[in-house]
Amino acid sequence: MNFNPEEIYQIASTIWEAQLELPVELLKIAEIEDRKRSIVVCVQISGAWKGAIVLDCPPQVARHAASIMFAAEPANVTVSDMQDAVAELVNMIGGNFKSLLPETCFLALPEVIEGGNYSIRATGSRRLGQVDFACEGESVSIAILEKLLDEAAAA
Amino acid sequence: MSDTQTPPEAPVAASKLILPFMDAVRQVFKKMAGVDTTVNRPHLKTQASASYDVCGIIGFSGQITGSVVVSFSDSAAEKLIEAFAGMKLDRSHPDFADAVGELANMIAGSAKQHLGATASISVPSVVIGKGYTVANMSNAPCVVIPCGSPYGEFAVEVSIRQNRSS
Repeated sequence: MNFNPEEIYQIASTIWEAQLELPVELLKIAEIEDRKRSIVVCVQISGAWKGAIVLDCPPQVARHAASIMFAAEPANVTVSDMQDAVAELVNMIGGNFKSLLPETCFLALPEVIEGGNYSIRATGSRRLGQVDFACEGESVSIAILEKLLDEAAAA
Repeated sequence: MSDTQTPPEAPVAASKLILPFMDAVRQVFKKMAGVDTTVNRPHLKTQASASYDVCGIIGFSGQITGSVVVSFSDSAAEKLIEAFAGMKLDRSHPDFADAVGELANMIAGSAKQHLGATASISVPSVVIGKGYTVANMSNAPCVVIPCGSPYGEFAVEVSIRQNRSS
């Protein structure tokens, strides 16, 4: 599969602006800084194309997104709300991303990891590319991974 | 885990989705690492935090949806991975994460054959660190299968459901 960052950014910016009414701005990777805590959501895709979409979202953006999606005051948003909101955003990205893939592909349920001081690695896959954008002064990244290993290894 | 209260037992209805994972743990570690493991009584997960510091996560899609997390204590992970890989691997080495993911993949793949449904399993994600949580599906219970080995404890957390409409 050929990775086109512009298409991914277009999908993300449309979702952010239509669903959250939050403007976003494309960033260069060099501008991304490490952060202490983040919510990382990985949604796997199986079928004619196998891979994953990984969204790395700072808590501030997740809180704002959850407050909009669940019509709650930001102060009343729980960690669970934030996780659900980011998972829903990844589902939307995945649903749109599927239209770029060959028929037929399936989205798995999102895997949500929240916290700090951890590393995450999708084994048996290669990173096709990454798109980074700014939302309310915070950086959000979307990585597209493609599976390398055949599932027969597990069978 | 440091629960002082007895966690609730897994519901009977979930057992047909859990037993294949219990069998898979025994078989995979015996066959692939030459390690005898003990599998203890499953219980429902009652806290959000990860059971241990090294986790391999596998997603299920198709007639079965959800995720399975194989979670190791630091010391158990290092020694079990050494037994599996045949060499000592540092936690920071990419091969260490690959080995954790491969073990999770084998357990999920082995269990999948006995779930009685068509499902795909995902690329393993591996998380290493402290102070993180792996969120589970809100519409499926998370059943923890506590496991033991000569090298330390680990757990398999199963949060899957069978889709009737698939």
